Amino acid sequence: MIGFLAFSVSRAWQGFWRNVAMSLAATATMTLMLLLLAGFFIVQNGLLAGLAFVEQKVEVVADLKASASETDVTALEARITALPEVREVAFVSKDEALRRFREARAAQGEEDLTRYLDANPLHASLEVKLRDPSDFGTVMDTLRADPAVERVKNITDLVNRVITVTDFLRTAGLAILAVIGAIVLFIIINTIRLAVVGRAEEIEVMRLVGASDAFIRWPFVFEGALVGLLGAAITLATIAALADPLGAFMFEFFRVLPIRVGAIARDVSLLVLGAGLGLGVTGAWISVRTYLIR
Amino acid sequence: MTLDAVTDRPTEERSAESPTESGAWQPTPIKRRDLLVLNDVTKRYPNGREALRDVDLVVPEGDFVFLVGPSGAGKSTLMKLIIRDELATSGEVILDGEDLARLPRRKVPHVRRKIGTVFQDFKLLPTKTVRENVAFALEVTGTPRGRIGPAVARALRHVGLTQQAEQFPRQLSGGEQQRTAIARALVHDPRLVIADEPTGNLDPLISWEIIQLLLRINELGVTVLMATHDADVVTALRKRVVALEEGRIIRDELGGGYHRRG
Repeated sequence: MIGFLAFSVSRAWQGFWRNVAMSLAATATMTLMLLLLAGFFIVQNGLLAGLAFVEQKVEVVADLKASASETDVTALEARITALPEVREVAFVSKDEALRRFREARAAQGEEDLTRYLDANPLHASLEVKLRDPSDFGTVMDTLRADPAVERVKNITDLVNRVITVTDFLRTAGLAILAVIGAIVLFIIINTIRLAVVGRAEEIEVMRLVGASDAFIRWPFVFEGALVGLLGAAITLATIAALADPLGAFMFEFFRVLPIRVGAIARDVSLLVLGAGLGLGVTGAWISVRTYLIR
Repeated sequence: MTLDAVTDRPTEERSAESPTESGAWQPTPIKRRDLLVLNDVTKRYPNGREALRDVDLVVPEGDFVFLVGPSGAGKSTLMKLIIRDELATSGEVILDGEDLARLPRRKVPHVRRKIGTVFQDFKLLPTKTVRENVAFALEVTGTPRGRIGPAVARALRHVGLTQQAEQFPRQLSGGEQQRTAIARALVHDPRLVIADEPTGNLDPLISWEIIQLLLRINELGVTVLMATHDADVVTALRKRVVALEEGRIIRDELGGGYHRRG
């Protein structure tokens, strides 16, 4: 077994270097395809981060009755926080609400009308952020049922619209990634097939002298793995070199879409290594199979 | 002689002598049994072409058989059936007691190791030296490293290529290339050597060298089945001749010529 492994690996190594032009062509294709795949994976992740960011903006706002006591409000706050759908609850006091209103007016360049008021007419409120925006229903119902709550802002339409858009973008992103994955799969398998077909003579001689299928297959499979790993290594090195400048550029450019390669470095590495190795091995396996089955 | 070759098969040629020490790849002792038997074999390809029809053929161990006939007569198909590159549509192909149709796939390589194959186009690997080409046959069948070197040296000595061991096929003459291929066919100690037009690409003088080499191999007890178009060789050697035409055996006679007599 050890002898067989040593044989296969050394034959794979020999095979790679004795047909170096073909091997390098296959490696180059592998690298480009993996770059494409990784690039779209990163963009897809940025998109997802952006969508999550948008969805986080969805919050249920409950205006509190002026009559509600501090203990009532604290109890309500605790109860809402305990709900599984809720990510975080913030209490906005009357003063805070007024301050925000003034800021908003100022930001729009409007005159501050609040100084004509003798009392603060705004309500204190609870701002409830959700784990998943589609769960707003239960949270709204719980808030409405509480005696301390004056009214709950109806966000049904808004949420539904946001969810429609984000779901569409998620599906589209996934579909594009899947299409690119399929393209990469076919191109890589075809490239490796070409490399194997180029050595049909060698395979024929092996069959004629009575080499078992395993002895014919595994050297090619290891060679495919070598091409895959080499391609993956080059791809990851390229991504690592480009990550910081590119990330900075993307941040400058999009502002709200913080594509940080660092955060998903592990996923990207696994994807690139897995795809490289998997496609190299699968491609070789399928290509050699054509010659084995008679 | 007769068309009905199986029943009165020639027997006088079969040698009963024991193998000697001198042989480089001593085959197992000759038991005077049938190494290859084809029983009513028909081969029809998926496109409907019938390459072989009702072929009966018995080759006793140690025989030297010429297989003659025009192109497309079925010679190559017959050889493909013997190395189980193809399966017969009906009938039996039995090699060394094993029915090839019933042989599990994983055992096919073991049967092929009993056979040495030689082709018109040599089928040498251009990136390997003579020695590597011959060693390749052993390496890819899992032979332990220690046994490969001596076996290759023996095979090369036998075909007279010891001097050229480190050269690449493109540096060799056609005859030397074919001798390399023969060394590769022999390095496994095969029981049967099948040669498909081995002299087809060589000039007459070199062809004779190759024939002589195959005869020497046969003298050591290895059965040889050689397909050829070379009428002079067949007629001169007076060996067993099996003639195929349109997929049928039309003649099987000992000491026959290339062409049918009378």
